[in-house]
Amino acid sequence: MTTCDYCKRPAIYHDTRVSNGITKTVSLCEDHAKEAGIDIGPDGISISLTPEMMGFTFTPSISTCPDCGMALADYKEKALLGCPECYVTFKEQLIPVIANLQEKHTQHVGRSPRRASADIDRHIAIRRLLSDLERAVTQEAYEEAADIRDTLRDLHQKDDDSAL
Amino acid sequence: MHFDPNINCPYASGTTAFGDVVLSSRARLARNLEGFPFVNSASVGDCEEVELLLAPACNCDDDFTLVWVDLHKLSKVERAMCAERHLISTNFADADNPRGVMVGPELARSIMINEEDHLRIQSIKPGLDLLNAHNDVMAMDQRMEKLVAYAFDEQLGFLTACPTNVGTGARFSVMMHLPALRITKGFRQLYNACEGMSIAIRGYHGEGSETIADLYQLSNQVTLGYNEEDLRSMLEDEFLPTVIENERNARMKIIEKYGAKLDDRVFRAQGILENATILPLDEAMDCLGRVRLGVSLERITNLEINTINQLFIDIQNGHLQWRYDGNLSEAELQEKRATLVKEKFAA
Ligand SMILES: [Zn+2]
Ligand SMILES: [Zn+2]
Repeated sequence: MTTCDYCKRPAIYHDTRVSNGITKTVSLCEDHAKEAGIDIGPDGISISLTPEMMGFTFTPSISTCPDCGMALADYKEKALLGCPECYVTFKEQLIPVIANLQEKHTQHVGRSPRRASADIDRHIAIRRLLSDLERAVTQEAYEEAADIRDTLRDLHQKDDDSAL
Repeated sequence: MHFDPNINCPYASGTTAFGDVVLSSRARLARNLEGFPFVNSASVGDCEEVELLLAPACNCDDDFTLVWVDLHKLSKVERAMCAERHLISTNFADADNPRGVMVGPELARSIMINEEDHLRIQSIKPGLDLLNAHNDVMAMDQRMEKLVAYAFDEQLGFLTACPTNVGTGARFSVMMHLPALRITKGFRQLYNACEGMSIAIRGYHGEGSETIADLYQLSNQVTLGYNEEDLRSMLEDEFLPTVIENERNARMKIIEKYGAKLDDRVFRAQGILENATILPLDEAMDCLGRVRLGVSLERITNLEINTINQLFIDIQNGHLQWRYDGNLSEAELQEKRATLVKEKFAA
């Protein structure tokens, strides 16, 4: 399944074209396609293209979670969040919802997890970077991808150092 | 599979605290792994990785043992049995993502992996005993915590897929038998009191389920803004003693005022259970509930309350299919159910 270039939801719109000898593909989810002004037919097939799309430049305004791609509309539908990062992304909108569910409480009281080891934190960092890398590569952001590879290499280096 | 349903049901061992009114107590913690999507938006690969990271908890027997059971390797009947024992939820039994459950040999402790949250850690104790159920889940929580980093936010606490569990992720619930409160006017009062204290009151099968046999689950609705110990204590030490007392008083009132009517309800139910050859599940549960009231008020003296508690579980479809080793039709299930109940009542 191809995912949207701007979030991680499934892409329903695809457009491939060649300009100056370079092939470029745009993949968009339903919401981002609509936002880009593309007419989505009843079967989810695009009908017409807008001039913006020809130039492949488009800045989306629907905010989605950077980790899982969820939009707030998805929460309203499922009543479930997509990942821990959603709580950070949508904190402002979620706090009133939580206050309503939790007898007006919005501050945790009690135990917090004891971060067992630095290993776990590194594991998380590597996972995050790997998914960033995947996204950068599909978006053909090669400079960003190179930076991410460097950071990953450093993290693995640390692995080796601590093993000594 | 390692799961032996012949091991006595956790509801039915010995005399338990407030066993006349409370069948069992359950503590549950919801936890998720940092850096992974919640189960509803996780890929098969994510779910498998979560399982792999948590699996070592089963090879560590310091003070309690957990056995890994892969839900995909269980038959439909076995999955139903796990749900009937409340070891897993019904949704979890029927889902199709990679998922498993870690089970203690006594079938009271369990950890569902990849339910709505990555971990649902729970323990069930007979009678009113949230304190020890809570101790159990804390011990399991500590073991899991050594293996993974939990998703946590300084403000919102433990992060869960649904914000109704956020904060402590702790849900305490008790299964209560409240026949007298239901018959008398006490029930309206109970509902109001629950509402005032943010306590949910549900039927036998939990959320959205109908009332069966006057069995009710009471649990804390709020999970944020109090620590786990306070949530437990508000329910177990502050709220429930009054409910138990009210139920007991209502039972006494019924004996005094409507003794003949009570006996009629109790003994008719006993008659059905001892003589019927075809027993639909609803009718059997309903009659067991009435007989249970009779036993607790010593109108019936040749039956143990534990026998009834055990039967609530054993007459469920999954347990019957397993016991009679069959692919029984609904009609056959009703016959086997009648046979089993007769057997247990005669013993
Ligand atoms: Zn999108
Ligand atoms: Zn997210």
